[in-house]
Amino acid sequence: MLLLQVIVGGLLLGAIYALFSSGLTLIWGMMNFINFAHGEFVMLGMYVALLVVVWLGGGPAVFGFAAAVALFVLGVIVYAGLIRHVTRGPMLAQILSTFGLALLLRYTAFWIFSANVVSLPQTSLGGTLNVLGILVPTAQLVAGVTAAVLTIAMHFFLTGTTMGSKLLAVAEDRNAAMLMGIRPDRMQALAWGLAAAGAGIAGALMAISYPWSPSVGETFGLTAFVVVTFGGFGSVPGAMYAGLIIGLIQALSAFYLGPIYKDVVVYGLFVALLWFRPQGLLGKA
Amino acid sequence: MKAAIAFAVIFILYPFVFSNAFYLDIGVALLLAAISASAWNIVGGYAGQVSVGHAMFFGAGAYLPLLVYHQWQLPPIVGVPLGVAVSLVLAVVVGLPTFRLSGHYFSMATIAVAELIRLVVGTIDFLGAAIGLQGPAVGRGWYDLTFRGELPYYFIFLAVLTILLLITWLLQRSRFGYYLRAIKAGERAARSLGVPVRRTKLYALMLSATFTSIAGSLYAIKTGFIDPESGFGILVSVQMVIIAALGGAGTLYGPLVGAIILIPLQTATNTWFGGGGTGLTYILYGGIIVLIARFEPGGVHELWYRIAPKFRKRADAA
Amino acid sequence: MLLSAENVSKTFGSLRAVAGADLSIDEGEIVGLIGPNGAGKSTFFNCLAGDTLPSTGRIVFDNIDVTRAPPETHARLGIGRTFQVPATFEDMTVLDNVMVGAFLRHHQRADARTHALKVLELVGLADRQNLRARSLGTPGRKRLEIARVLATGPRLMLLDEALAGLTPAELQQAIALVKKIHETGVTIVIVEHIMEVIMTLAKRVIVFNQGHVIAQGQPADVVKDEAVIEAYLGRGHRQWRKQSVGGA
Repeated sequence: MLLLQVIVGGLLLGAIYALFSSGLTLIWGMMNFINFAHGEFVMLGMYVALLVVVWLGGGPAVFGFAAAVALFVLGVIVYAGLIRHVTRGPMLAQILSTFGLALLLRYTAFWIFSANVVSLPQTSLGGTLNVLGILVPTAQLVAGVTAAVLTIAMHFFLTGTTMGSKLLAVAEDRNAAMLMGIRPDRMQALAWGLAAAGAGIAGALMAISYPWSPSVGETFGLTAFVVVTFGGFGSVPGAMYAGLIIGLIQALSAFYLGPIYKDVVVYGLFVALLWFRPQGLLGKA
Repeated sequence: MKAAIAFAVIFILYPFVFSNAFYLDIGVALLLAAISASAWNIVGGYAGQVSVGHAMFFGAGAYLPLLVYHQWQLPPIVGVPLGVAVSLVLAVVVGLPTFRLSGHYFSMATIAVAELIRLVVGTIDFLGAAIGLQGPAVGRGWYDLTFRGELPYYFIFLAVLTILLLITWLLQRSRFGYYLRAIKAGERAARSLGVPVRRTKLYALMLSATFTSIAGSLYAIKTGFIDPESGFGILVSVQMVIIAALGGAGTLYGPLVGAIILIPLQTATNTWFGGGGTGLTYILYGGIIVLIARFEPGGVHELWYRIAPKFRKRADAA
Repeated sequence: MLLSAENVSKTFGSLRAVAGADLSIDEGEIVGLIGPNGAGKSTFFNCLAGDTLPSTGRIVFDNIDVTRAPPETHARLGIGRTFQVPATFEDMTVLDNVMVGAFLRHHQRADARTHALKVLELVGLADRQNLRARSLGTPGRKRLEIARVLATGPRLMLLDEALAGLTPAELQQAIALVKKIHETGVTIVIVEHIMEVIMTLAKRVIVFNQGHVIAQGQPADVVKDEAVIEAYLGRGHRQWRKQSVGGA
């Protein structure tokens, strides 16, 4: 049934939202810092995928990996060169830093790639699968499931490994973490690398099924804000659920109201959240 | 005081010295940019609440005059107070819930709402949809404010800017102004001294919204055209922020100085590199904002006081 | 009775920072609040100041229930506080800092300015009025914070380790200042670690440990209290004393 297809499609895209939003919320929780350029990290991931396909002819695994590595490096550089220096300063500097970065990345992409909408040439993931009577494009299914797996993996990394616990320790209490011998600076750099990598892979996964242009960064960034607010400050599990829900809401809005309204409903939801439940799904009142 | 008089003299004489249409155009654009940025400055600079979606107020102020003309053939100027009214409502919708939360929520909300409005307006035929609205091609009388030359606009804008700067100056010296600065400098401490933080931020936003709306109205009346992108687009918000921050957010003349630096620069780069969304101008904007944030958040104003000690009004202990 | 706290607790998740604390302060007193680190003093203090919402209990100031009132209301009612880590407005001048406080009761700029200058005179910062707050050292900032809150015309001042980190000479000046402020009629509650301050300034001392009050009284008595000594030095100390002094 068409509605079920829409729902499944929405959830699969939502899994990708969850992936890139968990990085954003991790940084927010760790450093009380919102990355206004996060959407651009996703957008860059998409272009990395394009470049890999065009230059190296690689498949999804290759360009997914490439996006992860490239964005990880970018994330660390951005942290070391910019973020680290503004976190102790005035709010204006903090917000302008990543906001300016977003503009820089976005318009550089416009300049290099032009405003044309592009998409990846058909990859090995063409075609449609029939899953329990629902027709799902293979590409979307693979992308969504991969995103879900990676997001869950991120969660287990944070809660189950030593390195992950160190990251969480810095988020919880910076000074206490220092007393335990953890270097907050290093952990924060790692967090930025991970968050950017997550965004990059999410972008690469989306590139498989959806066309894009440099302006998508702005939309993804806003979507990420809504997801992290809905999911609750600093909560990766929250971002996971919220991503799925937002993806679903968006798909249903597009289905019932038309494609223009898919973003409008999500932004409207954001305003409603701020009014009535700013702590989000899992947050405490 | 001396600075004010100097600025006033220069600005009054400018159009007579540079009477060429090209330079006059830059002058008008500069004044308009200074008005918007100075309006933003009240909430973003003085109170430290960084709005990156101020276009919502600008667009509201730009749409209403052209709307009342387009739909009911009223003089555009009638739409100016309407634009202010709409902007005040938006200010409350955005500010009231977010000012009790940390600063990031406010900033995120401003982008989201500006974008929301831009998208929605583009779908509503009554508001011109994606095509936009136009003003009177030929004025029916003086009240339509359709002047053929730029000169009358120049002086109207100059008058509005002067009034805004005067209000800002009075604000700076008032209890409200001190409270704004205290909020920026340390909200927790400000609270402990009895500053009604949430209410003060909201009033600042409402005042800022009012003048941003007026700036939008001036723009629409002069240009005679508005569409979702030129009214509510992100670049409108960006320009306000960068001009204020470049000159010195939270200072009286910062936004004006920023406009003096940036508008001629922008005209130059647009000519060299090509304007619009794909031009290098916006890469430059992004870069400038990052540099300001990283190295000198106080903008040119702070930079000036750092490298020119003899002009320092406040002595700092060595 | 000016300020009273009844059965105040504050729980953060699974951590019970304050567990049923009671307190009463009469007008005109200087009361010291002491206790080991982590005893819950600061959290309790923040509850009194309105910065933290108590999980249980009641706080009453001048017959008005302020348990859930925000800091702004506290200030308006006449409760002022300083911060453990000085929170001066760094980029504003010393005078402007104090004027923010003065504006609470003096709405006109000229009045606020006059009042602020008077307070700066009292506190001894008048000569540095045009310096930016960030150019003062920590002792200067602490003094500025006191001046700033004094300008709000408080009836009760909560000083949170306002005298820490001072040289002996500065400490004497600070103690004299607190005395001077007290003499103008302000009730003072002071959280402090420095014994000298407590002994010289406080007429009554309240001892906090593990989230509640364990002892109260005159400084000389409190210092000899078994429970207090144990709180600071640990249970082992009691054993040691018993053994070495023969169970005194």
